[in-house]
Amino acid sequence: MPDIKVTPLGAGQDVGRSCILVSIGGKNIMLDCGMHMGYNDDRRFPDFSYVTQNGRLTEFLDCVIISHFHLDHCGALPYMSEMVGYDGPIYMTHPTKAICPILLEDFRKITVDKKGETNFFTSQMIKDCMKKVVPLNLHQTVQVDEELEIKAYYAGHVLGAAMFQIKVGSESVVYTGDYNMTPDRHLGAAWIDKCRPDLLISESTYATTIRDSKRCRERDFLKKVHETVERGGKVLIPVFALGRAQELCILLETFWERMNLKAPIYFSTGLTEKANHYYKLFITWTNQKIRKTFVQRNMFEFKHIKAFDRSYADNPGPMVVFATPGMLHAGQSLQIFKKWAGNEKNMLIMPGYCVQGTVGHKILNGQKKLEMEGRATLDVKLQVEYMSFSAHADAKGIMQLIRMAEPRNMLLVHGEAKKMEFLKDKIEQEFSISCYMPANGETTTIVTNPSVPVDISLNLLKREMALGGPLPDAKRPRTMHGTLIMKDNSLRLVSPEQALKELGLSEHQLRFTCRVQLHDPHSDTDTLGRIYTHLKSVLKSYSIQHVPDGTVIVESIVIKVTSSAEEPNLKVILLSWSYQDEELGSFLSTLLKNGLPS
Amino acid sequence: MDSDCLSLLPAVCLVLADPKQSPPDDTSLEKLLDWFKELHSQSNGQVLLQHQPCQPCLLEFISSVCTSKTTDPAILSFTIKLTGLLAATTQGFHLLDEGGLLVYVFEREAWGVCDLWEDASVRSGWLQGLLDMLKHQQALGFICGNGLIKVILQLQNDRSLFVACLANQLLVHILNFLTSSNMTSGSDVVGSSESSLRPDWVSVSSEIMNAVVEALSSEDCPQVLQGLRLLSLVLSQCGEPILSTLWKDVLVPLEVLVNRGSESLIQTLITVLEAALGTPLLNQSEYKVEELLEAMLGDGNRKECFQCAALIVKLEKCPEVLKRKAMDIILLPLQCVSTQPQAEKEMNVVLKEQLSQKASCISLLMQSLSSLAQLAHTKYLFEDISIHSITSSVVLLLRMCSGHRPSSLLHINAFTHLIGCCKVQRCGLDTLGALSVYEEKLDLRKDIFGVLLDYLQSPDSHATVLKKTFQAVKRWIVCSPFPDLLQFISHDLFPVLEKRMCDLRWEVRDSTLEFITQLTAALNGNSGFSEALHTSGVVSVLLSSLADAEGYVRASAVTAVGEAVTASLYQTVLVSNSKLLEEALVQMMAILSQDTEGFPRRAVVQAFTSWLKGSHLITALESSLSSVLSLGGSDFDWEVKMHTLELAEVLMEKTLTCCPYAVQNFGSSEETRFTQALIKLKDFGLFDLLFNSLFDCDRPVCEKACALLVKLRTLTAETADLDHSVLVLNVCGNRWGDEVQRRYLNKQQAKASGCVTNGVTGSDEGTDCDLHCSKDISLPKILQILDLDDMQRMLTLSSDHVVNSPRSLMEDILSAAQQNEENIVDCY
Repeated sequence: MPDIKVTPLGAGQDVGRSCILVSIGGKNIMLDCGMHMGYNDDRRFPDFSYVTQNGRLTEFLDCVIISHFHLDHCGALPYMSEMVGYDGPIYMTHPTKAICPILLEDFRKITVDKKGETNFFTSQMIKDCMKKVVPLNLHQTVQVDEELEIKAYYAGHVLGAAMFQIKVGSESVVYTGDYNMTPDRHLGAAWIDKCRPDLLISESTYATTIRDSKRCRERDFLKKVHETVERGGKVLIPVFALGRAQELCILLETFWERMNLKAPIYFSTGLTEKANHYYKLFITWTNQKIRKTFVQRNMFEFKHIKAFDRSYADNPGPMVVFATPGMLHAGQSLQIFKKWAGNEKNMLIMPGYCVQGTVGHKILNGQKKLEMEGRATLDVKLQVEYMSFSAHADAKGIMQLIRMAEPRNMLLVHGEAKKMEFLKDKIEQEFSISCYMPANGETTTIVTNPSVPVDISLNLLKREMALGGPLPDAKRPRTMHGTLIMKDNSLRLVSPEQALKELGLSEHQLRFTCRVQLHDPHSDTDTLGRIYTHLKSVLKSYSIQHVPDGTVIVESIVIKVTSSAEEPNLKVILLSWSYQDEELGSFLSTLLKNGLPS
Repeated sequence: MDSDCLSLLPAVCLVLADPKQSPPDDTSLEKLLDWFKELHSQSNGQVLLQHQPCQPCLLEFISSVCTSKTTDPAILSFTIKLTGLLAATTQGFHLLDEGGLLVYVFEREAWGVCDLWEDASVRSGWLQGLLDMLKHQQALGFICGNGLIKVILQLQNDRSLFVACLANQLLVHILNFLTSSNMTSGSDVVGSSESSLRPDWVSVSSEIMNAVVEALSSEDCPQVLQGLRLLSLVLSQCGEPILSTLWKDVLVPLEVLVNRGSESLIQTLITVLEAALGTPLLNQSEYKVEELLEAMLGDGNRKECFQCAALIVKLEKCPEVLKRKAMDIILLPLQCVSTQPQAEKEMNVVLKEQLSQKASCISLLMQSLSSLAQLAHTKYLFEDISIHSITSSVVLLLRMCSGHRPSSLLHINAFTHLIGCCKVQRCGLDTLGALSVYEEKLDLRKDIFGVLLDYLQSPDSHATVLKKTFQAVKRWIVCSPFPDLLQFISHDLFPVLEKRMCDLRWEVRDSTLEFITQLTAALNGNSGFSEALHTSGVVSVLLSSLADAEGYVRASAVTAVGEAVTASLYQTVLVSNSKLLEEALVQMMAILSQDTEGFPRRAVVQAFTSWLKGSHLITALESSLSSVLSLGGSDFDWEVKMHTLELAEVLMEKTLTCCPYAVQNFGSSEETRFTQALIKLKDFGLFDLLFNSLFDCDRPVCEKACALLVKLRTLTAETADLDHSVLVLNVCGNRWGDEVQRRYLNKQQAKASGCVTNGVTGSDEGTDCDLHCSKDISLPKILQILDLDDMQRMLTLSSDHVVNSPRSLMEDILSAAQQNEENIVDCY
């Protein structure tokens, strides 16, 4: 039976990094090629030696698909293509292709900051890798080769994020990447058509969570920022260059405008222009409201948000600063944090996840005394708020997507094992489909039942109708005979005559022959006569002829009798029939083997 | 061991052993184990086992995790690994064994009862634990005595790839260990025969080896694969007597597998044979290594033989006869498709059928081409077949890919499969480039450049194909410039490049610019080329590319213009060259000050560095240098800042050492010349740049600046009669100045308090004390005030050395446990 095999090298029962291998219809596809931000050594990259030995990735993989620009989904790509040596096609959407290098460069900088970091890619490698990328549009079906096709669907989550349908023949898989089923300030909700894939591979970050409305979180965020600014404090929001930052910028910009606030908002390292550029360029990927109002006013052209200069950190009075990197690893955000941490009037808002080994992680864990370089200690007096603005589908959203796509099987990735277990049970109960959750390194095999479309000739159908019986009914399958011919890559069921005609073939007559020996003391002619009488009595509804040339004929079956001069009593009965009368022929041979009635 | 860490360890163990606590962040346990491993290897296990608070708390931790059946799999896996690590020394082993802990931890049934064994991390932790432990005889005794070999052999076929792989590693380690000096009846000599092993060890090795034989004889493909994988590991990692004993046993099933020629096993079978080639087994005919490889190839009429041939061609230690046979097979598809007459005769039914189907035709040709490229990389000497004929086959194939119908067609329809096939085009171009090593034997230059030019001109060429074409062109041009080269470049190549620089795809524009840069650099010094470049329209297109919409392209254009300017130095007579520099400078300065992308700005600073290194242009650049240093130093992008410091370094070297223009006053003293040079650097704003960068938020920038300042300090200290008054810098109103004043004050205060205690006040200090109020301080003084050595020591450490220290890690584990409300901080 044909099957689909899925092996996660990352994202199998974890959220560290995504890298999933899928084998479908003889094609091997890698879904995402992420990096684990929590490690500083080779453990951050997927171990490609499990895919194939000796780095022969190009020979093994038919393509790589990247769902979106977050590093846990694309961070190992330059390593794979430029250092391990994958030379095949890489697919991602246009915005992902444009934004990926920015985030990769950002992270490269952090690795340079950390001494002893080896085996990391260079800027040139990032560029060379991006040159291999084939960009896609939404809903555009791309033919990777003659058999394999892929199609992207909108996934929300971040600008350019996409879900991918992968199809080989009649078998298909949908991979969601990260997705969000509710629209936010700048992006729309994920959508897919009822494509009924054999397998839906879905992220399950919030497998057990029903998230409160984002409006509440937004209100809370604005309230906290406003209160801090009102009391003359400074607000630091560590962010990654592109993504959540823009959503929060829109939020603050509108609020500042509405409340007529004067405190400055800054965005670090000149990224505002760049972000603005990408959002303008990919305006069709944003939500409806932004698209509609774009002509009158571009939401990403901020009036209140200005570029930050490092000297501003020492300015007196309130201000809000968005600074990179997002986990307070190093660089500007950490430098500002160190300056402001000692003042309880100030506030730090962490809008996203922080890995262990970063200052952000410590602060989120509630540590109030941080050891700094040179045995110095930093007292964290400023207020710390964690507000997750990460945009993933919650349990409700995941169920909603299943209803949309109607998959035959489900496979959960990118989530914690315990939470997945809960959701798996729920899915199996509600949809009566199998749900899998392989760990990293484990292969799940899903047997498929590919339906092969076949056209039936009208003549054959008419003939079938003429034979009588009930009218065709989709719910009651019935057997139909014909000749299956394959022409121009399509299958048709036609009558044998039509098949012969179309293919220019002449019919071969196949006849089965059989010898039955029996002892009969009569002459050959009499024996034949006795056979004729016997058959007449057994096969009442058949036409049986006794032909003068010494044969008995029943339908297409010809019966002759011979005997040798040495043993005239041992008769050899010769039977011959065409394959259409096979059943009757076998019946007669058995009948005659039992002898003739005396 | 850091005493702070020691004091935290008991609390960490308590938290980790508490089943009510959810396990910490997924990387924390791994990092904790890393630290334990490091400690263990540094002290040969002494620290963890002998340190008082450390040892009992670890033992208690292991015991409590193993007693609790509700432990999280991640914690259990960690505990098993830790136990293995501790038991790696005989002392640790006895300690754990005496208390019965060892059996408790590695008793596989215990974990099976509570379903924990179902979790792959527990199984792999168990294997890793044993692997770490297996450093002494007692450990092996423990594994064998408790029947663990059986479990390991079962895990060899585990559903988890990671577990199965680890099981194989452990089995090889066991086999290797058996023959190591530790094991051979107390003798130090490595065992050369199985008889030197203790009888019970012999049975262990037999059990493992029998399992390999059994796996190889199995009908179940995954089991065969695992057996083969283990076999190849044994071959590459074990010595005698294991090698020959095992090989004798597996030879028969191996022969069966080879003769069966199952497609799914080929790759792994070749890996086994490849490993066998590297062993002494190769030289003994009874072991049939060569025979097996030959059997893999068959007589070239099996579908699988091409894949085998492709793999054999790549083997390093392959016998020559076999290699030639493999080469004949693997080159056949290429020769057939390119209608080489001798190939047509050899084409068998299988090959004909394979070539008539698109997918297999492409795959075969790719194997053919990549094998050829591989051989060319080693400059392999082809004997039976001429390199001329091979190269013309590649050229013809490339022509077919771009739609040229060959003059004679085979019956197969390979031609239609190849039109526009990027995969074959890329591979073919790589191969054609690689064949340039045989240049001296070839007389096909016209054809080669013809096809390459066709690819460059074709509107259908994919961006990745064009990139490969550029690489091939470069290789052929560089390998041996031919008489008509300049003619070819200016008449054929340049017009195409001009067009390609205006391609709609940024990838193509970028690759073209990169190619021009490489070509210009490679032909540096060739005045004919420089002239051709400057008299063609290329340069003006290069200049217009500086305003490209794509940042990457602008950066490549900057580099290309930079290289073109360097090349123009050989054409000083041309008026257009000085204009080029002038125009380049204007545009580059605009990019440095206005471009929103970092890449072009980085490229500008790098271009200046490269010009400065060339030294011809110093005077022409002088007016721009201070702007570059100031703009680059205050850039948003850390790499622009880094490159600016590299520029500063070159400038320092040129100015302070043998700079031709710095020494203007002939006859003046060494000191005067040095002072003048420093004044020059000051005028360029170099010191401002260095001091500003020293306090930058990006660590590599600070480090580089610090290194340069240390160099400067050494130079100033070496020059005794330096006139400080002319090297005064303003320290007010800027960040670094404030820092200098703050540090100075701190030092003063420390000194003063020291003086007061000593009851002495020195007049010198009194004079210096006024300095902090002064806004001008001399350079040498500033270099002394700043504790550059201490800064440099700190900056060479990783930026995260504090937050990523073991102590910090343990604090994180503890504080996560104290955190009551669960943050949904699970991903982006």
